[in-house]
Amino acid sequence: MSPRFLPHDWFSEPLPANVEIGPRSWLYSTYAFRHYCSRRPLGVRIGHDTGVYSGTFFDLGPEGELEIGDYCTLVGGILSTAGRIAIGHHVLISHEVVIADCFAAVPPDASRARIPPADRTVIVGDNVWIGARAVVLGPAQIGEGAIIGAAAVVVDDVSPFTVVAGNPARIVGSVGP
Amino acid sequence: MDEDFGPITGAWDYGSLPPNVVVGEGCWLERRDSFDRFRSHQQPGLVMGDRVRVYTWTTFNVEPSGVVTIGCDSVLVGAVLMCADRIAIGERVVVSYNVTIADSDFHPIDPDLRRQDAVANSPAGDRSRRPPLVTRPVVIEDDVWIGIGAIVLKGVRIGRGARIGPGAVATRDVPPHTTVSGNPARECPPGEGLP
Repeated sequence: MSPRFLPHDWFSEPLPANVEIGPRSWLYSTYAFRHYCSRRPLGVRIGHDTGVYSGTFFDLGPEGELEIGDYCTLVGGILSTAGRIAIGHHVLISHEVVIADCFAAVPPDASRARIPPADRTVIVGDNVWIGARAVVLGPAQIGEGAIIGAAAVVVDDVSPFTVVAGNPARIVGSVGP
Repeated sequence: MDEDFGPITGAWDYGSLPPNVVVGEGCWLERRDSFDRFRSHQQPGLVMGDRVRVYTWTTFNVEPSGVVTIGCDSVLVGAVLMCADRIAIGERVVVSYNVTIADSDFHPIDPDLRRQDAVANSPAGDRSRRPPLVTRPVVIEDDVWIGIGAIVLKGVRIGRGARIGPGAVATRDVPPHTTVSGNPARECPPGEGLP
């Protein structure tokens, strides 16, 4: 396959070969892959109609895997894992959010040994909204429709349709259905 | 890599840094813009040990009076270092994403003085009329890990091997080999570690 470039890109690097981006989705720049090291067959898979905007970074280790569904919006979060992060459909991820596999995560090319990826998976359900500067640490499963408040620190599972906030995050309400 | 992108990929000439920046062997500094707000007049104003890694999100916001030291093998991922006096970081320290470390509040507590500070600090203001900064050095000892989004405030000493939890705000000294979390940061009960 010949190198793929984003038509609007200011950065000179092509998309990594093991990255798939669906129709009508937008990625601001291949700069998002600045620290990307994934050697998985499919390191990053982005669905259709998803927007990945400036400041978002895919800091994935050699065994790292990231899946983002359809109609998602990411406006500048950092996804840092040696393992797996799976994000559903219609998910909103705000500014300066970090989803990581360690409380003191570093990019994968740092010399410090990473914590093994075993069971540090983060699963973000459909229709989840993660507020600005929130931190989500694996292993964690965020249930469908949940809202994570700004600057919350999530270290456990979040039940569907609940609202959590604070450090550590606690349930402060519920939404729908 | 295209040479034009050197300043954001670590492939730039560290010799172009101000002469009062001392960089050890085998360091890697990703982004030249990390030094945009480096205004130290001290000799030296920033000293880095060997094999230090400094990632794109890090900012050395150092006042003319400030001195920053970083020990060997430390990793600064996303550290905003606001320094008017001294920030001393030890060896093998890990500073994760979105962290702020400040050795001053940078503005007076007193409302009248703060108004005077706001005027003096305005774009056309006379900086010499700024009230003096209150500063207290920050010391981060060897093998400390500072979690994602944590904030370390003036006068804090973080003891060797301590862990600062994600989003924690450290306002007081942290004893060696302890783990703190929350705002303000408090010691975690034994057995309750960090993920």
